[in-house]
Amino acid sequence: MPLTGDSTILVPVDVSGPDLPESGILDHLRPVDVVVLGYYMVPKQTAPAHLKADHETEAAARVDEIVAGIDATDHEVEGVLVFTKDRQDSIDRVADQHDCDAVLVPGETSGIERILVPLRGDVNLDRIVSLVADLERTSDASITLFHSVTEGADPSQGEFILRGAVDRLAEEGISRDRLHWELSESGDPQGEIAALAGEHDLVILGETEPSLRDRIIGTVLSPILDSIDAPAIVVRDTT
Amino acid sequence: MAGSSSGELERNIGFLEAMTLGGGTMIGAGIFILPGIAAEGAGPASSVSFLIAGGVAFLAALSLSELATGMPIAGGSYHYVNRALGGLFGSIVGWGMWTGLMFASAFYMIGFGQYLVAPIPFLDGRVFVVVLGLIGLALIVGINYYGTEESSKLQNLMIGAEALVVLVYVAVGLFFIDPANLEPFAPFGPGGIIATTGVVFVSFLGFEIIATVAGEVKDPSRNIPLTMLLSVALVTVLYALVMLVTTGVVPFTELRDSLVPVSDVAVVFMGSVGVVAIVAAAAIAAISSSNSSILAAARVNFAMGRDALMSDRLNVTHDRFGTPHRAIVVTGAVTALLIGAGLRIQAIVALLAEVASFSFLLSYSLVHVSLVVFRRANPDEYDPSFRIPDPLYPAVPVLGVLLTALVISQMAPVIILLGLGLVALGAGWYVVYARDHAIDTGLFEDAFPRIPLGGRTTGTPDVYRVVVAVANPDTQRDLIRLAAASAHAHADEGTPELVAVNVLQVAEDTSRQNVAAERLEHQHDLLEAAREVATEMDVSLRTRAVTGERVDETIVDVLVEEGPDQAFVGWRGTPPEDGSLFSPRLDAVVAEAPCELSVVTFHDDGIGRPVALAGPDPHSPVAARRAVDFATVDGTTPTLVNVQRPGDDESAAVARGEAVVSAVADRAGLDPSVYDVEILVGEDVETAILETVTDYDTVCVGLSEQSETSRLMFGTIAERISREAAGNVVIVRGSYDESGRPERAVQRVVTGETT
Repeated sequence: MPLTGDSTILVPVDVSGPDLPESGILDHLRPVDVVVLGYYMVPKQTAPAHLKADHETEAAARVDEIVAGIDATDHEVEGVLVFTKDRQDSIDRVADQHDCDAVLVPGETSGIERILVPLRGDVNLDRIVSLVADLERTSDASITLFHSVTEGADPSQGEFILRGAVDRLAEEGISRDRLHWELSESGDPQGEIAALAGEHDLVILGETEPSLRDRIIGTVLSPILDSIDAPAIVVRDTT
Repeated sequence: MAGSSSGELERNIGFLEAMTLGGGTMIGAGIFILPGIAAEGAGPASSVSFLIAGGVAFLAALSLSELATGMPIAGGSYHYVNRALGGLFGSIVGWGMWTGLMFASAFYMIGFGQYLVAPIPFLDGRVFVVVLGLIGLALIVGINYYGTEESSKLQNLMIGAEALVVLVYVAVGLFFIDPANLEPFAPFGPGGIIATTGVVFVSFLGFEIIATVAGEVKDPSRNIPLTMLLSVALVTVLYALVMLVTTGVVPFTELRDSLVPVSDVAVVFMGSVGVVAIVAAAAIAAISSSNSSILAAARVNFAMGRDALMSDRLNVTHDRFGTPHRAIVVTGAVTALLIGAGLRIQAIVALLAEVASFSFLLSYSLVHVSLVVFRRANPDEYDPSFRIPDPLYPAVPVLGVLLTALVISQMAPVIILLGLGLVALGAGWYVVYARDHAIDTGLFEDAFPRIPLGGRTTGTPDVYRVVVAVANPDTQRDLIRLAAASAHAHADEGTPELVAVNVLQVAEDTSRQNVAAERLEHQHDLLEAAREVATEMDVSLRTRAVTGERVDETIVDVLVEEGPDQAFVGWRGTPPEDGSLFSPRLDAVVAEAPCELSVVTFHDDGIGRPVALAGPDPHSPVAARRAVDFATVDGTTPTLVNVQRPGDDESAAVARGEAVVSAVADRAGLDPSVYDVEILVGEDVETAILETVTDYDTVCVGLSEQSETSRLMFGTIAERISREAAGNVVIVRGSYDESGRPERAVQRVVTGETT
């Protein structure tokens, strides 16, 4: 059984400025393949090829620096540089082209010890669980699986989902004392996840309707992602 | 391979954005400002003028669609004309478009002033019109200087509202048409209708904007033709209806003096609410049209700079905002002067409109010519996904040129004079500034090859063709030099021709990524790197930038197509750890190249003294031949080396070695006077070779065919040399169709490994 899995995470980074992403969260991605997407924003007035001609060298150097900074042992770290007018277009395209399973949304963190995994119990469940397994198999962070029961639904259904996920993660080689689960019947999943996220260092959650585009950083900010400061990994729904 | 070494270009403009860009620019100022002038020139028949102008635009859109899907990168008409007809015409069209956009922009902003001034009685007067126009322009230039994001919802909403106002105007207005007003329909005859066409053509400039930003349109092969043709067709119908309503509701004799014709008509059947709506729509229209013009002007400038037809200093992008601020400011400044001219010139609106029309009509007729040139020359990079269907070609470009000529011929002499002045400006610029560094020479001679004089009708003369695959034109000039030297050294076998090929690796689906711009960049770099070498070596040169999902397979495709005598590829020198033989980018080339092949690893600058290992292996004669070819680069004498074990008698060993060398030279067809011989005698063959070859600058060694396993594919000696030699190493493989045995050996090895 491999110690690490074959998931791929896309890490979008704005390379038009000198700021590089924090290394804490990047270190945590070591067990999986990483695609670093350096994007350079182009204003409407300018042809992307024009800014590329002017800034390609420095931007490529920044991407290379980030790639080199991720200490890849036996996993691939690839750099892609894109000149774009729409970050979401590029995230979607590059994630498709490189078969990425998830996208990192950067946030503030000091060290990753507590991880929150909200589950909705939909088709995406498998993908979330296997990514969590790939990512956390070799770490020693504690993992809290969370499910909020929708109003009028049977709470045992939620408990079934959570217990099933715990069992699967245990099968994948994550020790049971690192796994916790929490079932809520408050009927306010967003508020609860936001509150819980404050106590965690990383949130791994599934992409929800309508698309990645509106979920992360897009024009319609996801209320959840908006309200948490911790970094998040959004698992793509590619079915 | 680091994927980040080359930046990808995202395509961000979807169907809807392209429609609002094209349609939004077109349903613009033109239709609000021009009806008065049009009615004055053609009476009620001015709707026919709009239909003819729309027809001219549609023909241009057809030709542009084909060219734009063939080369979907920034620049529009300018780019196609420059590629097809060369720098002189490129410069004329580039300057024509740039100045045309300035005139159009000034025209929109004067119209903006007129519509705002009209409803406010005490603000009447030309000064206010000009001042308001300048304020509007300053606003646009300011916004564009600081930069904005791609699509703003507000903007789309405003363009939608503006289109709605026009639609309501037409829909309601149709019921208020008094047929008596439409009599006589064409008071000024066909001449008036055509002359008016020249004025109103400016209202169709919007579709060109789509071609200008072609590098940013998603799924360009679908969206570019669709949005261009659709927007022209819709807008033509809309314009004709607006004109019909306008001249049908108010007699054209009253309209002709109106500066705000649509507003004056709307008041008749929609009252003051209608007037407010029309004024608001006209103001939005003017701003959005003018804004798009400035964007397009910046793209044209960038495209000209890319082809070295415009100063890079103009095309500097702003450190912080990333905008081409200098080009924007210069465009704005000239536009401001043109608006200011409105203080002096009575008929400024018609003048600005007509000059802009002239510039673009001329550009489009050259676009039609370019289409014919591209079709006939059919260069590599031209593979349009939209083609004008057969029964319409060449009717479309021919008709397009004739119609534009007809419209231009009916323009006022002063306009033609001004227009020709702009042509002279472009031509003069080319002669004074651009001629020396222009990159593109045009395809005219490819399209219409001159019939050779003296009746030389027998088949094409023999060509000795060498293909060199170049990954990085900047660092691989020596590779190009080696290939050119080889071609030159075989001049007795045919006219030497060098074909430099660059493969741009692309993903399977490129509809969301602008690969065409990268390809053009590579083509330019390649041409620049190879041109000098080709001249120096006196070989003719062709460059090809091709795209493919897999580099090695694409190179093989090119080789099969070109049918060369030799091929050259570069190799970084160490066998990879992923199980491939040379590298994933080369293996198929080594296995399948249908010609002699040299795999070159450079450790040294320059070629210097070459040496070849002459041995029993099947490719040795070709390696010897290459060493002789390469020696011509620096005018040295090549050495053929052979190693023998000492055995009983050293002198017998030397004699054995000499016999092998002369046999190899004989098979290679080399005269003994062109090479030196060195025979090594030693127990350890490999070490002896390695020690000796370090004295030379370039080592040629035949590809070993004997080993069965991929690791030893090119033999231990060749592998150790390529690892350890301080000089350049060339692994040479002969042509497979000459000897059957190597072919079988390699295929067995390769299929065992790569499938």
